[in-house]
Amino acid sequence: MTDVETLVPRETPPDRPAKTVKRRNGWQVVWSNGKARTGIVILALFVAVAVCAPVIAPFDPKNSTLPAGLQPGGAYLLGTTNLGQDIFSQLVYGAQVSLIVGLLAGVVVTMIALVIGLVAGLLQGVVDEILSFSINLALVVPALPLMVTIAAYSPVHGLSLIIFVIALTGWAWGARMKRAQVLLLRSQDFVTAARFSGDGLWRIVFRELVPNMVSLVVAGFMGAAIGAIGAEAGLSFLGLGDPTTVSWGSMSYWANSNGAMLTGQWAWLLAPGLALSLLITALTLINFGIDALSNPQLREE
Amino acid sequence: MPAANSTDEPILTVKDLNISFVSKYRDDRQVIRNVGFDIRPGEFVGLLGESGSGKSTLGNAILNLLTPTARVTSGELLYKGKDLFTIPAEDLRILRWSEISTVFQSSMASLNPVMTVRAQMEDVFSAHRGTSDAKREMTVEKSLDLVSIDHKYLDFYPHQLSGGMKQRIALAMSLLLSPDLIVFDEPTTGLDVVVQKSILSRLKALQADMKFAVLFISHDLGTVMEMADRVMIMYAGEVVENSPAGDALSGVAHPYTIGLLGSYADPRDAEINIRYIPGRPPSLDSVPVGCAFADRCGLATPECREPRIPTAEIDSLAGHRSIKCVLFGSENSDPLPERTIFDDVGQQIDVHHAAPGAGEVVCRVEDLNKTYSTRKGLKHTENHAVVDVGFELRKGSVTALVGQSGSGKTTIGRILTGVEKPSSGRVTVAGVDVGSLKRRALRNYRSKVQLIFQDPFQALNPASSVGYAISRPLVNHRKLRGSEVQEQVDRILGQVGLTPPSEYRDRLPHELSGGQRQRVVIARALAAQPEIIVADEPISMLDVSIRAEILQVLNELTRSNGIAMLYITHDLLSARLIADEILVLHEGKIVETGSTNEVLTNTRHDYTKLLLSSIPNPWQSRRIAPSLPTASSTSARA
Ligand SMILES: Nc1ncnc2c1ncn2[C@@H]1O[C@H](COP(=O)(O)OP(=O)(O)O)[C@@H](O)[C@H]1O
Ligand code: SF4
Ligand SMILES: [Mg+2]
Repeated sequence: MTDVETLVPRETPPDRPAKTVKRRNGWQVVWSNGKARTGIVILALFVAVAVCAPVIAPFDPKNSTLPAGLQPGGAYLLGTTNLGQDIFSQLVYGAQVSLIVGLLAGVVVTMIALVIGLVAGLLQGVVDEILSFSINLALVVPALPLMVTIAAYSPVHGLSLIIFVIALTGWAWGARMKRAQVLLLRSQDFVTAARFSGDGLWRIVFRELVPNMVSLVVAGFMGAAIGAIGAEAGLSFLGLGDPTTVSWGSMSYWANSNGAMLTGQWAWLLAPGLALSLLITALTLINFGIDALSNPQLREE
Repeated sequence: MPAANSTDEPILTVKDLNISFVSKYRDDRQVIRNVGFDIRPGEFVGLLGESGSGKSTLGNAILNLLTPTARVTSGELLYKGKDLFTIPAEDLRILRWSEISTVFQSSMASLNPVMTVRAQMEDVFSAHRGTSDAKREMTVEKSLDLVSIDHKYLDFYPHQLSGGMKQRIALAMSLLLSPDLIVFDEPTTGLDVVVQKSILSRLKALQADMKFAVLFISHDLGTVMEMADRVMIMYAGEVVENSPAGDALSGVAHPYTIGLLGSYADPRDAEINIRYIPGRPPSLDSVPVGCAFADRCGLATPECREPRIPTAEIDSLAGHRSIKCVLFGSENSDPLPERTIFDDVGQQIDVHHAAPGAGEVVCRVEDLNKTYSTRKGLKHTENHAVVDVGFELRKGSVTALVGQSGSGKTTIGRILTGVEKPSSGRVTVAGVDVGSLKRRALRNYRSKVQLIFQDPFQALNPASSVGYAISRPLVNHRKLRGSEVQEQVDRILGQVGLTPPSEYRDRLPHELSGGQRQRVVIARALAAQPEIIVADEPISMLDVSIRAEILQVLNELTRSNGIAMLYITHDLLSARLIADEILVLHEGKIVETGSTNEVLTNTRHDYTKLLLSSIPNPWQSRRIAPSLPTASSTSARA
């Protein structure tokens, strides 16, 4: 048996270093999702169109000196409006409006929701109760009628009004999700550990809580952007938008009120609707990939 | 000893099974490698291995419940002659529950929260109406009787039941249609020792009575060895040993089996010899050629690195053994070669105790009480979580607080660390009453008291690197800056055995194993240079084979740094290994206290005795001497 004993290692060999795992960052996870990839490609196309609008659009969208009421074809790809504007050029510039509204409203709504969610989740007692009450109140107020009412009676009309209205009606859902997430995270051992490591509140918020809410924040942003783009189009379609901006919603509004379908100018009515659906589809597809961020089971391995 | 007659036709045959996980992002990983075995009617088979060895994949394969990324690359799975990989989905659905049923660890969580227990059980019947053999079905009530649960619970919802009850109900459900085979996957992991013991004895009795076969998957060798007729030991996707349980315990076994068994002992023994196998299993991305265990095996020879390791087929008195190890020879080698009797594999853990009462008192707990009041409607209930508890913690010494879950251990830990205020009584550290500390003072106090958490998967922020986690106490409590922080982080990583530090500093928690994470958690606690460490069940979530190692790290570091540790556990064996003094807590009260030896060898309180008897001890229940055979004790050899 002695020969056996000599074979026993007396030194602890180090743990076999786990093979360096290829780290995939959030972007790679989202990109690896087929649906999200499709969405990202479509979105990128829209962004390209919006940015290069002056190059792509053959005419100034507000230039109403062209022959009016033309049907699609020829020099005017999608025809002209009854005021003599080029519909294709309007469609191209409309992408700018939708994307800017989506981006700005998304940022504003996300910021409001994040701040309120964090404060409500972190502070217990009266503050949380007041905020939770406001959240619930904002959730039960029917957003659509409120939006229409505000937009109809507001003295100013423009993108800022639309973003304001969307922020006012859209923050509560995200705030509620974020509050719930904060409540969940703050009771986690690693947050207690940070406290025992002497970290202060701000550091705990920004190093422990927020990094673990990224997917929620991004998903909230996407949701808000989708809602905002839809809402802008909807309000403009109802004639409640800024009459001077050319957006997909206002295009549909004018097309509709001029009976475009009856005059054979189908592209005037259909093109903005299709563009809008395509953009919203793209964003929704991206959202699938973001779900995979927070739920590894949805990842496409 | 085996309940089954070994001449019976097997009900389940697995032949040369290979399963890989495929991924677009990396090479396929083969997680089940050439596995073959039989299960006979009425046989109780244990499947053991460390986490990641492929146990659950194998269990899921038997139920054809593999995830879509798993590919069965070859092999057959025959249940009573039917190949489960090829039969139609509908036949398979019928087969589940009525012929093969399962109980998972997650069964507890998988009960539908909006259905009563009765409704869920009746669902099982309706899903199989007309397909199963009606004579074999039992009533819902009968099944609850079997697992000793009162019928009134049938009308309860899952959230109204404790974890142990839910697991009993999962067991009852698996029995409803009287299956011939039940697969258990870690069914009691996460449950209290005492509860675990009672569920398992119930299972064993039912199995003896109803004669169903069992495949019992677990990482806890001690528990399985007590119950199983036969055990299969998995390592890196292979079954390295398949033996009657008694034979596996005889000391003549695969070196890995012996290594795993090294973690068990009777805490009452005067001399304790606990061994662990250093290192970790190979990554399944790159399993070495030859014996996968060779890197950790103290008996490895150059032959072990040859591509094909033979499997020895040996007949013993108790049945048949297959052992995949060169030491056992290739062909039917009876009798076993003399070299196969090993008396030590792996590394021994040092057990050293300070004399109780030595060391300066750093923390004094007096008349501590904590009462939680809860109000449900008009009903007002008081829960006395801690009752008149008093003890002292001493510099460089470890005090174990032992008790089953719900006994108030965690609450005491939380009061000690200032997370919670006591209802009455006081905790004094350095002349200051901890309960009276506010904000800033409390933050300073925490530089003296650190926590080590139970679950290493929750104790580290998934988004921050190891280096960041360890640097925070250095910056906050020790006011280090710049390169000093870096140096200290590296030094502490070295202390907890994560070397070279450069390899670990920038890792994120998910890139570490459970044991490595727990080392990081320990490192973070040490970084504050605390006077007191409260470790709440620090090893209970770890694989049995790593526990001894982590315990060793904790033991050495607290003593060499002169830290007073409160070690909270339900496991008296680990308390025996690390503690100088033991406090036994039962329903919030300390029922027994004294030096470790005194409490364990001269046990007075019944509750302590109950805890002691709940510790799995495979040798004791099989009446086999744990001391390993010399020439005179070769009885297990055929
Ligand atoms: N925050 C709480 N509110 C109400 N009861 C609690 C709370 N925390 C613990 N308890 C109760 O106190 C008792 C002791 O719990 P705990 O300290 O967690 O014991 P252990 O650590 O031994 O599991 C249990 O009955 C538990 O239900
Ligand atoms: S084959 Fe060699 S390395 Fe593997 S267990 Fe046997 S002796 Fe150890
Ligand atoms: Mg506890």
